Amino acid sequence: MTLTKTEKPETQTTAPPSDWQAAYNSVIRFLGSVRLAVTLLSLTALTVLIGAWCPQESQVGQQKVIDQFGEQFAQVLINAGISDIFHSVWFLVLIGFLTVSLVAASFQRVFPKLILLRKPPIFLKKAAIEKLPISQSLILPVSKNQAMSLLAQKLKKKFYKVYLQESQLAGEQGKFGRLAPSVTHVGLLSLLCGVTITSWTGFSGFQPVRLGDSLSFADSEHSKLWIGKLPNWRVKVEKTEREDYPSGDPKQWYSDLVVIDSQGKPVKRQQISVNNPLTYDGVDIYQSSWGLDTVALTFNDHKQELELRPMGKLYAAFLPLGSGTILIFSARNQTAPLRVFGKTPNWQAPKLLAEISPNQAKDFGSVKIQFNKVVPVTGLQYKCDPALPLTYTAFGFIMLGVLLASVPYRQVWAQAQDLDVNGKAACQLVFGGTSYKAKQAFEKDLQKIAAEIEEALAQEAQSTKIDDQKNDPENEGNIALCPTSN
Amino acid sequence: MSDLQLALTNTAGISSVMSFWVFVGSNAFKRWQPLMIKIATFVMAVGFIALSMAIVGRGIEANRFPLANLYEALLWFAWATTGAYLFLAKSYGVHQLGWLASMTAALFFIYGSWLPQSQHEISPLVPALVSYWRQIHVPPLICSYAMFFLAGLSGFCQLWASGRILSVWSCIAALALAATAIALGTFTDTNTFVLQGMFVFGSLAGVLGAAKSLKKIDEKKADQKRAELFDEVAYRAITIGFPLLTIGIITGGLWANHAWGTYWSWDPKESMALVTWLSYAAYIHLRVHRECKAESLSLVTICGLLLTLLTFLGFNSLGFGGLHSYGKFK
Ligand code: HEM
Repeated sequence: MTLTKTEKPETQTTAPPSDWQAAYNSVIRFLGSVRLAVTLLSLTALTVLIGAWCPQESQVGQQKVIDQFGEQFAQVLINAGISDIFHSVWFLVLIGFLTVSLVAASFQRVFPKLILLRKPPIFLKKAAIEKLPISQSLILPVSKNQAMSLLAQKLKKKFYKVYLQESQLAGEQGKFGRLAPSVTHVGLLSLLCGVTITSWTGFSGFQPVRLGDSLSFADSEHSKLWIGKLPNWRVKVEKTEREDYPSGDPKQWYSDLVVIDSQGKPVKRQQISVNNPLTYDGVDIYQSSWGLDTVALTFNDHKQELELRPMGKLYAAFLPLGSGTILIFSARNQTAPLRVFGKTPNWQAPKLLAEISPNQAKDFGSVKIQFNKVVPVTGLQYKCDPALPLTYTAFGFIMLGVLLASVPYRQVWAQAQDLDVNGKAACQLVFGGTSYKAKQAFEKDLQKIAAEIEEALAQEAQSTKIDDQKNDPENEGNIALCPTSN
Repeated sequence: MSDLQLALTNTAGISSVMSFWVFVGSNAFKRWQPLMIKIATFVMAVGFIALSMAIVGRGIEANRFPLANLYEALLWFAWATTGAYLFLAKSYGVHQLGWLASMTAALFFIYGSWLPQSQHEISPLVPALVSYWRQIHVPPLICSYAMFFLAGLSGFCQLWASGRILSVWSCIAALALAATAIALGTFTDTNTFVLQGMFVFGSLAGVLGAAKSLKKIDEKKADQKRAELFDEVAYRAITIGFPLLTIGIITGGLWANHAWGTYWSWDPKESMALVTWLSYAAYIHLRVHRECKAESLSLVTICGLLLTLLTFLGFNSLGFGGLHSYGKFK
């Protein structure tokens, strides 16, 4: 309305701005609608399903896609973005829409309902109670007040919060279950915030680092929209070793790390192992793999490093000598002697020629081979995720929220009327309720309560018959009728 | 595996088959129905106790949490299905679900017993699985799968009770094709594309066919009250299964972050669990919306059942990769 105030006289302003307003309202309503939510959730599910089925380039590389589907079909998948679907524009747009719709729905429909939680329940009249999906009518041989307090008692035993007002009763159970949508949606919104912050500021990566070398963050991975900053410190590997089981299988890997700041000053030292990372300046550094990288040898006076490759539990380096003859060096770990094998075309299998301890040498005819050392390499995984506390909080909210959603919210109402049956106290008790979830279980509950009340009164009638004198009708008024709250 | 353990597991398997037949029989002899249902439920409860003991015994014998390979996962699944049915039957008295639940348990026992011996043996763990997170992460997932199975089976019952006989048959065909694909994938060398096609297109065709024939109602067979009951049981099972799945997925994320420094990596099985989660989130919203007919919701629970089957067993047997596979054993 304010937009058009200056332009036209009051009488004519109605059509165009209210159209705008109406269009705006209906867009907002559409964005927050459950129908859109269900559509988006289903589309996302379908997209993720395709992503689960097709090997993803970002995980296994393009070659795997080609191996699995053949050159031609793989090309189709790659061009369609299916082999990298979680980075596709389609997926981003979908998540964007999901976010918008989640925000719209949460603020329009989910959070406003929290107000309902604070409102005390209303009381219903007999006629309204009888129209409820579940209702009962009992004729009881007691006054209406007695009947009401008996019902209130039974309900409280079942964890209902009970409100009494004259001859009317209202009760509710599991009201905290109504927090479910709000808690879940707050969690989801926080998760989306967390993931967004992570993709703007977080980074991660993996680097194999040889003993004595340093880990730097230059090659780290981050998202396209990244606005973060890489650390200017580095991490030096001072020592790294493998601990074995007696069988020779690896038990644990250790690396002694030193954080060195931009001035070259060491600022933190720590030994890491699998499941025991180093944390500095918000970056976690994990021990993730381990191996032997090279073997340093001296042939007569010529120094040479040979690359080691894993061969089962051992590592081996190969030195071809021409005409099909190969020298093979096999290392078990950093301290064990190096075993030297020879293989010629005439020999069935490699023959063990010698074992050389570290810093020892052996003569092989004209060549003296000295074993200097093996150089281990430690696989360091690192990541920086500034939004992790937010993400973890979001996880907590989501778990709590969906747990709350399994709590059924139940309401009961009752009204009692005194009846006159041959001058004896009697009343009609009408009670009923609603439950959106677990209706039939609720119905059973109410039936059980009705049966229990009747039974209790029948027993009482038995005992009152025996000592009728004690039954003083004056006392009935003593049963408290003030609104009780659990 | 010790003899006692074997005996307990077999007791559980046999009682699931027995209770199945007694449940089925109870429909044929209306006069004896209440008694037969009592007997069937009792037999099922005996099987449940035996299976609980077998699982605990396995844990003690192996000196680790007894949930590390496919065979053990199947035992857990059968355990959760029977337990959840006994629980639901107690509060709802849904006996038609009884034969479906015991049949499911029995089929999973049979599937498990056909696995190669190496799966039955109690083997030590690969290093990646040695973590207390495993027992926090996996059981909720398996239990949620069981709840979703029961929800889907209630969906079948709901469709039947509302007179949608044709739709029921269409869904049964879908489920049968899916199960066949999984069995072929586990025990034979059938081409994976054939299997995947069988699963996916079978499911699609069956469910779409069922959706189309929702309008065909056999009024004689319809029983509105019972249809409502099954609708409610399905919803109840999902409101229990959904939090379990949520907890399973999130604790998996926490484990991964603890072990590898990233809580989500789009691993196929992870993604598949997310698909299932999103689908049931859609179901819950359809439900809160209150505009969807109960029959359509039942179809959603059946789609959910197929997705759960795909997540639980399909991935291994239909040739999807990833870190979470139970390993090949062909
Ligand atoms: C596109 C995004 C979404 C939109 C627009 C949306 C919208 C809504 C709306 C309007 C409600 C009803 C609130 C009420 O009437 O009390 C609701 C409830 C709920 N939503 Fe969402 N939602 C979205 C995504 C999700 C997701 C991904 C989850 C995952 C768990 C979720 C979990 C819930 C739960 C647990 C409830 C409560 C259900 C109950 O009370 O039984 N929502 N949502």
